[in-house]
Amino acid sequence: MDAAPDLNSGGTGGGGGSAPAASPWRPRPDWLVAFALVFFAVVYAYPLVRLVAWSFWAPGFTFRNFAQIVAEPAYLQAFYNTVEIAGIATAVCLALGYPLAYLMATTDPRPRMILGALILIPFWTSVLVRTLAWVVLLGRNGIINQALLAWGLVERPIPLVFNNIGVQIGMVHVLLPFMVLPLYAVMARIDPSLVTAARSLGASPARAFLAVFAPLSLPGVVAGASLVFLMALGFYVTPALLGGPNEITVATLIEIMVRDLLDWGSGAALGLLLLAGVASVFAAGAVYAGAGRLVGAERA
Amino acid sequence: MSAGRLALWLYGGAIVAFLCLPIAIVAAVSFGPSVIVHFPPAGFSWRWYANYVGSGPWLAATWLSVELGIAVAAAATALGTFAAIAIVRGQFLGRRAVEFLLISPMVAPTIVLALGLYLLLAPWKLVGTPIALFLAHTLVAMPIVVVIAGAALKRTDASMELAARSLGAGFWRTLWYVTLPTIRPALVSSAAFAFLTSFDEVVLAIFLGGPGAATLPKRMWEGIKNELDPTLTAVSTILVVVSLAALAVVELSRRGERSRQA
Repeated sequence: MDAAPDLNSGGTGGGGGSAPAASPWRPRPDWLVAFALVFFAVVYAYPLVRLVAWSFWAPGFTFRNFAQIVAEPAYLQAFYNTVEIAGIATAVCLALGYPLAYLMATTDPRPRMILGALILIPFWTSVLVRTLAWVVLLGRNGIINQALLAWGLVERPIPLVFNNIGVQIGMVHVLLPFMVLPLYAVMARIDPSLVTAARSLGASPARAFLAVFAPLSLPGVVAGASLVFLMALGFYVTPALLGGPNEITVATLIEIMVRDLLDWGSGAALGLLLLAGVASVFAAGAVYAGAGRLVGAERA
Repeated sequence: MSAGRLALWLYGGAIVAFLCLPIAIVAAVSFGPSVIVHFPPAGFSWRWYANYVGSGPWLAATWLSVELGIAVAAAATALGTFAAIAIVRGQFLGRRAVEFLLISPMVAPTIVLALGLYLLLAPWKLVGTPIALFLAHTLVAMPIVVVIAGAALKRTDASMELAARSLGAGFWRTLWYVTLPTIRPALVSSAAFAFLTSFDEVVLAIFLGGPGAATLPKRMWEGIKNELDPTLTAVSTILVVVSLAALAVVELSRRGERSRQA
């Protein structure tokens, strides 16, 4: 799980700085990046420029698309829904993920490896498979309702999916590993002797945790929370499949705009606002926790 | 074990169960005989797998996804590894900015990428073709390669490459016989993760695929939205097995690296 890119280390080709002043590669491999940059210019930068153009051009420069979004309560509701769903998912992921990461960081190597595998397997399992699982479990005739009916706990099936509950459960299930992995990466580097020292100086276990361990784990909390929040903001699959008409998010609204209404101007404007929101969350998280923690631990 | 520790294990175990059990239940249900899903299944049957194997559209989607995954893994690993070598071993200005740029699609909302790519590809009449999905999936698979290959390059010593150069090996010869073999496990992991990223990708597939390029996730998406046929649970189980196989490849290549270093 140490795939975190160290964005600070220089690649002077000297090997750890202690090597003699060996002559660098000649020609240097700098130009190898050109292939990726050309590809990115065509498939990444140019499409985003087109998106900006579409959102401000209708025809002629205009703020009309953005003005429409602000003026329409249904659109504003989608932004509100998105932030609410992402906020709740982040809070729940933190409540579930922090103890799990703590357990992983403080246990023996073997159970740690098993816990890690049981987090990585769902992490790398298709989002569709996991979403289908919740439809099968939470549906009207789903397994949970069958069990509740059989045990006589409910009279008729209770609606667990195609509503807010379904979306929240599905989102937390998909995003929880994005919380646990950066948290674990930070906690694993906390020197356990610091907590031991606090205990030997008379601190209670709770005090030692709150005064020593918790503050040191804060960069992991920030990295995990911002990662989960920004992923949740742009998430499309779960709200689209597990949500109902009241769970329209910005991502699902974009789809409605572009596919059903063929309104590319508004779709592009919504996409740009979504991108701006995600970028600011990323920037805020990166300033505090470091960009490497946000992207590196993500794919362990 | 203290009471607090026991409680922590119970809590952690419950969360891990929450993560894994739904996937296991779908796999179990896929072997059930009835159209309405029951858990535990009322019997054992290969019925839904037979349905899948006997269906032309499902098989066509599977082959498209496999071919696409292989092409994306090759392209993303090549582009990403070259970029990582330049970033880690090169000395050009703005290396950190370039690294950040190349990793950023990992956190960009896929739906926004889909919109932009649609605007790029529509004038070229490429929407609804496998080429569109190849370009889009390579874009989202490359950041993983840059992260993994970059981390491996930072761990290895560049003096080996300098030694090869000083002994007279050319640029490409050094790259092929020294640089790439030293990071081979990372290249295997990169390719496996790039394959999986493409194989499981759904948002770009539904926006850019169209009827002309229906991948396995696109067909699954339509199935979940429309009829919810139990064949979907069989296809899901196959996807889980593919993910497990990719993770096994990654783990084995990492073990190989450790035992060689030992």
